[in-house]
Amino acid sequence: MASYEALRHVTIGRYIPGDTPIHRLDPRAKLFAFATLIGLVLVATSYASSVLLLGLVLSCVLMAQLPIGYLLSNIRPALPAIAILSLLQLLFYRAEPGAPLLLAWGKLHISFVAVRVVIVSLIRFLVLTFLISLLTNTTTTSSLTNGLESLLRPLSRLGLPGHEIALVGAVALRFVPILGEELESIAKAQDARSVDDRIGGRWQFVHNARRVAALIVPLFVDAYRRAEEMILAMRARCYHGGEGRTHLVTLTFSSRDYVALGLMGLSIILVLTVQQLSLP
Amino acid sequence: MISNERGIRRIVIAGLLLAITLLLVFTRIGMIPMPTPAANATIAHIPAIIGGILEGPIVGLLIGMGFGFASFMSATIPMFKDPIVAILPRLMIGVTASWVFILLRAATRRTLSIMIGILCVLMLTFSYQTYQTIAWLGIVVAIVAVGATAWLYWWMRRTDVQIVGLSMAAAVGSLTNTVLVLSAAVWRDYIPFEAAWGIGLTHGIPEAVVSAIVTVAIVSALRHIGEGWSDSQL
Repeated sequence: MASYEALRHVTIGRYIPGDTPIHRLDPRAKLFAFATLIGLVLVATSYASSVLLLGLVLSCVLMAQLPIGYLLSNIRPALPAIAILSLLQLLFYRAEPGAPLLLAWGKLHISFVAVRVVIVSLIRFLVLTFLISLLTNTTTTSSLTNGLESLLRPLSRLGLPGHEIALVGAVALRFVPILGEELESIAKAQDARSVDDRIGGRWQFVHNARRVAALIVPLFVDAYRRAEEMILAMRARCYHGGEGRTHLVTLTFSSRDYVALGLMGLSIILVLTVQQLSLP
Repeated sequence: MISNERGIRRIVIAGLLLAITLLLVFTRIGMIPMPTPAANATIAHIPAIIGGILEGPIVGLLIGMGFGFASFMSATIPMFKDPIVAILPRLMIGVTASWVFILLRAATRRTLSIMIGILCVLMLTFSYQTYQTIAWLGIVVAIVAVGATAWLYWWMRRTDVQIVGLSMAAAVGSLTNTVLVLSAAVWRDYIPFEAAWGIGLTHGIPEAVVSAIVTVAIVSALRHIGEGWSDSQL
């Protein structure tokens, strides 16, 4: 029962208040840099370029004064799974025939390429973990959705509803704690009615699915009821979409943001150059 | 740009279903213990399926995108920290569920039987092809195909046609998730091809069954189809 208490405290990348250069950046600059860096992480496949990227991202984490131990804390429980998957990747990676081998023992062949793929994907994992923390721990959710909306606005000329997509995100983030609380009351109500909520054995997965349904079905019904109320409220206020809409807080690009984007461009060139060099 | 009620409806319902997705992903309440190596089946993709079925493919796509982002953000293993594995395949969950639901909405028992027949023939052809490369796998696939067809036919004879359509849509949405995620993972060299087959068979099928059960329960409650539903809000 006590486990239900935690449901309303869902945090998606908790905001850590601070007054560092990274905290002060415009959310649009941060989102743009975030998206570009993710693209860059996917392109970097050599040791040199991925280590360089890790260095760049780590220096940003240090600049934002985020506690590294805290950022790594949610990886810790998954360490066994990571180890098993890496081992599988190492043993079964199909290198081209004739690739130089690190180890050949009976049927076991481990090539240098396989070792590189495993190490690079582990570094990539670290880089992405830090990147996500950099974005969500230094930006409030409201400025994130504002930034997203303003970045998507030019796309509305192409028929992509930028304002609507950002609004869906904002509605979702607003309703997570409310529905979490609702789920807590549902769980308690079903407990009070002695609904069988024991988790059965692994083979009883149909039973387990029904057990989860006893919690999830009322949650969906409640969400739909709230949605109907909200639709009525929006119509009553003559909501008509993003066109001609103004904001309480208008985002402005300062010189700091241009400097950040310039540095970003430089690091892209640097990483791509290192990637092109025939380093291992 | 929206000017009608349908636009508002889509935004609000996509928002609320996305909120449920985030809740399921971040609290791990949607984990169902399973007799498979991967240990747990997820039901976090079910809001995307329901959005697709009830409000159409666009809402399904939006919720799928949100699910992808959430699983990308909360991933604790390297495979899901790759947007190509975590986000791209998830876009299609609600879309395929929606298409299957639209296709089966007007179906009668007769057309359903024909569809099951075609499905069986397709699966047997596939098993024959597999048999020529990996013999034992081909035999396993053939046995699964015949068993699944017989069970599907028996189940379809004694179930409401509307519920058959719903379950099929949910199962297809769930299998879309499994198949596309595993293909992306193999393509990006995270898991070997044979392991992907193993995970697909032992994990994908039970997960599809669970999704079908939970989706039918939810949609029946929302639409008051079937019997025995009261107006209780908790």
